[in-house]
Amino acid sequence: MKNLKLYHIPIVYMILYVVALLVTGIWLFLLSQGLDSSQLLATLSKIVESPAPKSIHNFIEVATPHMFAIGTLIFVVAHFMLFSTKVSHKFSLRLSLTLFIVALLNIVAYLPIIFGLVVSGWVKLLALGLFVLLFLVLLGMVAFSL
Amino acid sequence: MKFLVTKELAYSSLLKNLIVGVCIALFFYFMLDVLLHGYIIGFTFEEMNSTLYGNAEEFIEPILIDSLLLQVHIDLFMSLLAVMMIASIYIRLFSTQKMTKWLVHTLFLLSLLSPMILIFAYLTSKIAVFIWIVCFVLGHLLAMIMTVMIVKKLLLK
Repeated sequence: MKNLKLYHIPIVYMILYVVALLVTGIWLFLLSQGLDSSQLLATLSKIVESPAPKSIHNFIEVATPHMFAIGTLIFVVAHFMLFSTKVSHKFSLRLSLTLFIVALLNIVAYLPIIFGLVVSGWVKLLALGLFVLLFLVLLGMVAFSL
Repeated sequence: MKFLVTKELAYSSLLKNLIVGVCIALFFYFMLDVLLHGYIIGFTFEEMNSTLYGNAEEFIEPILIDSLLLQVHIDLFMSLLAVMMIASIYIRLFSTQKMTKWLVHTLFLLSLLSPMILIFAYLTSKIAVFIWIVCFVLGHLLAMIMTVMIVKKLLLK
């Protein structure tokens, strides 16, 4: 297609948008855990030791828009891999499906803490870290395919 | 995919009307988004300053960083989807024009930078609020103009 080069512009900006979304999302999460200015490590260790208490209402309020938004975002980003000639479709498929599963785990990771099944917040931190890492890998693959 | 593959949109009246419909919806979305931000941040420069930095004389507390960041987070998601749709349709219809590349770049830059500048303004100075107003209004105006151009091209063809 002759105007295919022009479609690279929205894709590049989409990658920047998603990075900005991930950064603001992490920042919001840390703020909800009592992040003070330049106290990142202290906040992280506080999450591991005693994560901020949340109610089911808080959980539903956060989980509902994220179920829609993260699902849509993974689909939008990952579907560009259909046009990739540099990365195999099999690998893209595996990564996308793993990302969907990790995203779901990330969203529901606070449930065991709310119900008192887990005292430490490492579950949430691990799920969040894995989700961000995999999303960045997918974004890197899209960027590499351009 | 049909959108990218179909050579002539005029032959597919369903697709043409669907694009016209989504562009009209996006036009009203951008219009209402300006109003929404007016209610949240303020309509005048003084109101915006009061919201972001508080006003001791009127006993107004500054907006919490959590609330502002949440708004920015939502704005980023909404504008990503809206601007991507407009840009993709615009590229499809106006790919032969030289201006297309620069219009799409400008639209994305303004839409991406304005939420970031709002946070920057909250953390720094009032000058950044002015830059945010310019970016926000121009970005929304450009998006609305591009939707009108798309609708005009499809309907008057």
